[in-house]
Amino acid sequence: MIPSKFEYFAPASLAEAVSLLSKYQEEAKPLAGGQSLISLLKLRLASLKYLVDLAGIAELNYIREEGAGPSGTISIGALTTYAQIKESKLLQSKCPLLPQTASVVGDVQVRNRGTLGGSLAHADPAGDMPAAILALKAELKAVGPQGERWIQADDFFLGMMETALSPDEILSEIRVPVLPDHKMIYRKAARRPSDFAMVGIALCLKARDDQTCEEISIGVTGVTDKPYRAEETEKRLRGKKLEPKIIEEAASAITEGVDVMENMHASQDFRSHLARVYVSRAIAAAGIRS
Amino acid sequence: MMNLDEIFVTRNWVGKSVRRDEDIRLIKGEAAYVDDLDMDCAHVAFLRSVYAHARITKIDTSKAEALPGVIAVVTGPEVAKQTKPIVARAITQPAIQYVMADKKVRYVGEPLVAVAAVDRYIAEDALELIDVEYEPLPVVVEIADALKKDSPLIFEEAGSNVLLHDTLEHGNMDAAYQEADLVVKEHFRVHRYSSTPLETWAMIAKHEKGNDSFVVWANDQQPGRSTANVCNTLGIPNNRFRLIVPDSGGGFGIKLAIWPHIVILCLLAKKVDKPVKWVQTRREHLLGGSHAPDCDVEIELPMKKDGKILGLFIKDIENDGSFVHTAGIYGLIKFATMVGCYDIRATRAELLSVVTQKGPTVQNRGVGKPTMIFVLERMMDIAAKKLGLDPVEIRFRNFIQPKQMPYTTPSGEIYESGNYPECLQKALSLSGYDELKKRQIEMRKNGKYIGLGISAGIEPGTSNLGYYYTSRGVPEYMGNAEGAIVSIDYDGNVNVVMGSVDQGQGHATTISQVIADMLDIHPERVSVDSHLDSLVSPFLGHSGAYSNKFNDVDLGAVIMATKKVRDKMVRIASHVLGVETGGLQVKNGAVCSRKDEQKSVSFQEIASLAYKKILLLPEGVEPGLKEIAYYKNPMAKLPSRDDFNVQITHSNSVHVVAVEVDVETGEITFLKYVIVHDCGKQLNPGIVEGMTIGSTVHGIGAALLEEFVYDENGQPLSASFMDYMKPLAGGLPRIELAHMESPCPYTLLGTKAVGEGGAIGSVAAVANAVEDALSPFQVKVVSLPITPQKVVKAVKETKEI
Repeated sequence: MIPSKFEYFAPASLAEAVSLLSKYQEEAKPLAGGQSLISLLKLRLASLKYLVDLAGIAELNYIREEGAGPSGTISIGALTTYAQIKESKLLQSKCPLLPQTASVVGDVQVRNRGTLGGSLAHADPAGDMPAAILALKAELKAVGPQGERWIQADDFFLGMMETALSPDEILSEIRVPVLPDHKMIYRKAARRPSDFAMVGIALCLKARDDQTCEEISIGVTGVTDKPYRAEETEKRLRGKKLEPKIIEEAASAITEGVDVMENMHASQDFRSHLARVYVSRAIAAAGIRS
Repeated sequence: MMNLDEIFVTRNWVGKSVRRDEDIRLIKGEAAYVDDLDMDCAHVAFLRSVYAHARITKIDTSKAEALPGVIAVVTGPEVAKQTKPIVARAITQPAIQYVMADKKVRYVGEPLVAVAAVDRYIAEDALELIDVEYEPLPVVVEIADALKKDSPLIFEEAGSNVLLHDTLEHGNMDAAYQEADLVVKEHFRVHRYSSTPLETWAMIAKHEKGNDSFVVWANDQQPGRSTANVCNTLGIPNNRFRLIVPDSGGGFGIKLAIWPHIVILCLLAKKVDKPVKWVQTRREHLLGGSHAPDCDVEIELPMKKDGKILGLFIKDIENDGSFVHTAGIYGLIKFATMVGCYDIRATRAELLSVVTQKGPTVQNRGVGKPTMIFVLERMMDIAAKKLGLDPVEIRFRNFIQPKQMPYTTPSGEIYESGNYPECLQKALSLSGYDELKKRQIEMRKNGKYIGLGISAGIEPGTSNLGYYYTSRGVPEYMGNAEGAIVSIDYDGNVNVVMGSVDQGQGHATTISQVIADMLDIHPERVSVDSHLDSLVSPFLGHSGAYSNKFNDVDLGAVIMATKKVRDKMVRIASHVLGVETGGLQVKNGAVCSRKDEQKSVSFQEIASLAYKKILLLPEGVEPGLKEIAYYKNPMAKLPSRDDFNVQITHSNSVHVVAVEVDVETGEITFLKYVIVHDCGKQLNPGIVEGMTIGSTVHGIGAALLEEFVYDENGQPLSASFMDYMKPLAGGLPRIELAHMESPCPYTLLGTKAVGEGGAIGSVAAVANAVEDALSPFQVKVVSLPITPQKVVKAVKETKEI
C-alpha cells in the first residue's frame, strides 16, 4: 500500500463526518469497509486529499424491523457488513435476497470488512448488492449538511461509479420492504467464486398458484456502466403465465436499451447471452414450474 | 555409485511423512525475508514505461530530484553507459538490451528511471514528477505480427524479430513419413501465464565505499549464475560482489530473473550513503516480473493405422517478449522430452524464438514441458479419434515399456526408470474410469455434458545446464551439481549450509531426515541454515533451487559431506577406542565397537577432541568437524547436437480428470481428479503430496483461468489479481493422489524430480476432459485457457476452442 499523501480523519459521529465532507467537498472521500477505495488508493488510481474514515461511527451499524405486517420494512445501517447481512436471522426470514446476495460478494475477508453502504455508494458497475437493492425497490437515506433526504433505488445509480449522492452527503441507511409472498433469487456468473459479476441477476417475483406473474422486479449488474432494472423484461412477464416460451422471450429483452460492456472476460455478445441465460435460470430457480 | 547401505546406518526417517520443520516459524511470521531485514535503508521506486514501443527523446528528472526526501536518481541511459548489455544464452541473432531501457522502451513496465528516497512514499511521489518524452513506435504484440516481412523491428541490429531459428532432427523422420499410413496434424496456441509467488522480488544493495564493493541481500533463486551475471554486467571483479539470500517466499523460476534489478540497485547504492531497498509491487510483478512465453505449436504425427506413432514433428514458435537472457530457452526444453512417455524413434523440432512487445519471459514451473505435454497429449486424443481408437488404447500401444528402461530417446535423453503402462492402469482403476464413462452416456441423455481426460506426462528434473548451447556455441555452464557443508558442533549436533535456498520445498526437513538416518540421531539434532552467502556457503555456478535438482545433486552433496564428517569421526573414534575403523559402527549418536557396544564414544566427545583437545587427535587428522562436498550428477552428457540429455532425471505421472461443462454458460465443474505419480523414491511423502497438489492447481489455473492478456497496443490488461486469475479453493477438485516408486538408478537415494510435475500433466488432462465433454458438439480444443466465453462460442458457432 503506497498511496499518495492524504490527510486522515476518523469522525465519531455522522454529523461530524458530514461537516468534514461539507468542508472539503470533492477533495474528500468517505471510507467505509475499504474494500474498493483502498485498492484504488493503493494503485494510485484514485488520489484524494482527505480521507474520512466512517469506521468509528457506531450509529450506522444495525439491522432492525420497522412496523409489522405486509407494510413492514427493515432498516439497515450503511456500515452493516456483508457478513452481518449474510448472518442476519431477521433478513434471512424476511428479506432473503440480501443475505443470499451478500454471501457471494468477494471472499470471507471482503465480507467481513465490506459494507452495504460502501458497496452502493461506490457503485461499481459489477457490484452484487446494487442489483439486489434495485430488485427490492429499496429506499436510501442520504444525510448532508442540509439534513436528510430519501432516494429511490431506481434513481440512485447514475453511471460508472456515479450516484445521486452529492460529495458532502453520506448514505446512512437502506430501507427494504418485507415481501412475504415474493420469491427472491440472486444468481451471478463469475469466473471464480469470489469475483465480480460478469452478470448478476437479482429477482423478486410474486406469482399466483397458476404460475401467473403478479409482480416482478429484476435488478441487473455487471452488464453496463451501472446496475439497472430490466424493465422491458419485467413488462413482458407481468400478468403473464410463466411458461418457457414467455420466459425466453422476456429474457431476450434483458439488455434492451442498454449499452453492454465488454472486457477481457466477456464480449458484448457473451455478456448479453449470459444475462439471458441467468435471468431465465433465476426465474426457474424461483420455483416456477414449467 | 554408492549403495544405500553405505549411506544409511538406520532407516528410521527417510520415506516417512515427517512434519515440516519449517512451518511453525513461517506460519508465526518469524521468517526473515528481505523485506523483514531490519536495516536503515533508502527506498527505491521505478518509473516504468507506459508505452510498449517508443523512442525516448527526453528524460528530465530535475523536479523529482528537487523533491525533499529524494536521495538519488538513475536513468536508463546512465545505466546503459555504466554496464554491459544483458548476456544472451540461446538466441543466435545479435540483440542488445541493457538492464534498463536505454534509447527506446520495448514493453510496458520496462524500467526507465530508478529513484531512491527516504521512504517509498516519497520515491513513488517523485516518479510523478519525472518528465519523459516518448516518440511512440509501431507495436508488435502477437507472433504473427512479429513474423511479417515488414514488421517493425524490436532489435534493429538483429535484422528480424526472430532471434533463434533452428531445426534439430534425430532418427529418420523422412522414413517415418514414408512408412506412415497417415499423418495427423494440428496447430495449437498456448497462452502466456506464470507463477505469482506470495513474496515478490525483493532486494537490498549496499555499497562499501572503502573497497568499492557491493553486498546484496536478494531472494535470488539461482545465486550461482546471478553472481556471475551481476559482476559481468557491472564489469567488476567477483570479489567485489557478495550475495546473501535470506528466507525466500516462493520461486517457481520467477526469481531466476531478478539479477538485472540487482545491477540497477547496485548503481543506485553507489550514489547513496546507506543501503537501498526495493520490494516489487504486485503490479510490477505482473507487468514485467517475468512470464512463461505464449507460443504457437504445429505438430505432426506420422502413424500406422494401428495407432503406432512413427515420428514426431513440432514447429514451435515462442513469443519471448523481450528479455534476451532467456529468449529461446523454452523451445530447447520442449524439444528435450518431446516424445513424452512414448516410444517414438524419430523427431524433428523446428524452434523459433520471437521477440515482441510483451513482457519479459523467464523459466517458469516446468519451462515449456506443460506446453509440450499439452500438445502431445491433445494429439494422442485427436489421433485416437481419427483412428477410431480409445484414448486409453492408443496410449498403451505407444508407451515405452518397463523392459526398455533405461530408455534413450532419439535425441539422447535417458529415461532412467518407470512403468508407464502400469501408472495409467492404476489411474484408470482409481478414478473408476469405466464407471465414469457409463455415467457420461447416462448424463448426456439429460442434457448434461461430462467429459473424461487423461494425460500421461514426463516430469524431468536437474537441468544439464549446457542445453541452451544447442544452437549457439560452447556453453558457460554444463552439467549440474550442488555443494553442501556439514558440521558437527560442540554438542554433537549437526549443522548444514547449502548452496541452494529453499523457497518452500521443505529442504530442511528432508535434509534432516537423510542425515538422521546417516548418523542414527533424531532429525531434531540437525539444523539446516536456510540462507546463502556467496562468500561463506558452498558455491557453484549451478547453485540455487531450480529444475527440481534438490532431490538429486543437492542431497548428493549433503550425503557426501555427511559421509566425510562421519568418516572423520570414525577415524577419531578408532584412535580413542583403540579399535580398527573396520570394527566400528555409528549408532545412536555415537561411534562404537561392533563387537562390544559398550566401547563407545559419543559425537559430543569426538567433537571435543576435534575442536578443543586437538592434541589428542590421531596423527594426520586435522582439527575441526566441518566438511564441504560438491556432488555432480554422473549422467550429464557433454553438450552435443546429436546426443545430449537436457534433463537428468525423469519422473512421470498420469492425471485422470472428469469435468462437467455447462454448455449454456461455459462453466466447468470438476467431478473427479486422480493422479498417479512416480517420482522414484519418496523421501517425505507428505512433502511430495503437497508439491504435487500445489503444482496441479497451478496447471488447472493455466488451463482455465490464468492469462496475461495484451491489447493491440501492447498494453497489458491483466496487471492485477482481479484480472490475472489464480485458481481459488472454491471451484477446485479434491485431488486424489497415489504413488508408484520406480527408483532412479543414477541418484544416490533413487529419487527423481518432484515439484513441477502436477503443473505439467494437469493442463492437458483438463483440456482433454473438456473436449471429451463437448464431443457431442464436435468441439476441438486447440488453445488455452478454456474460458466460459470460448466454450459457449465453440458450442454455438466455431466448434473450436
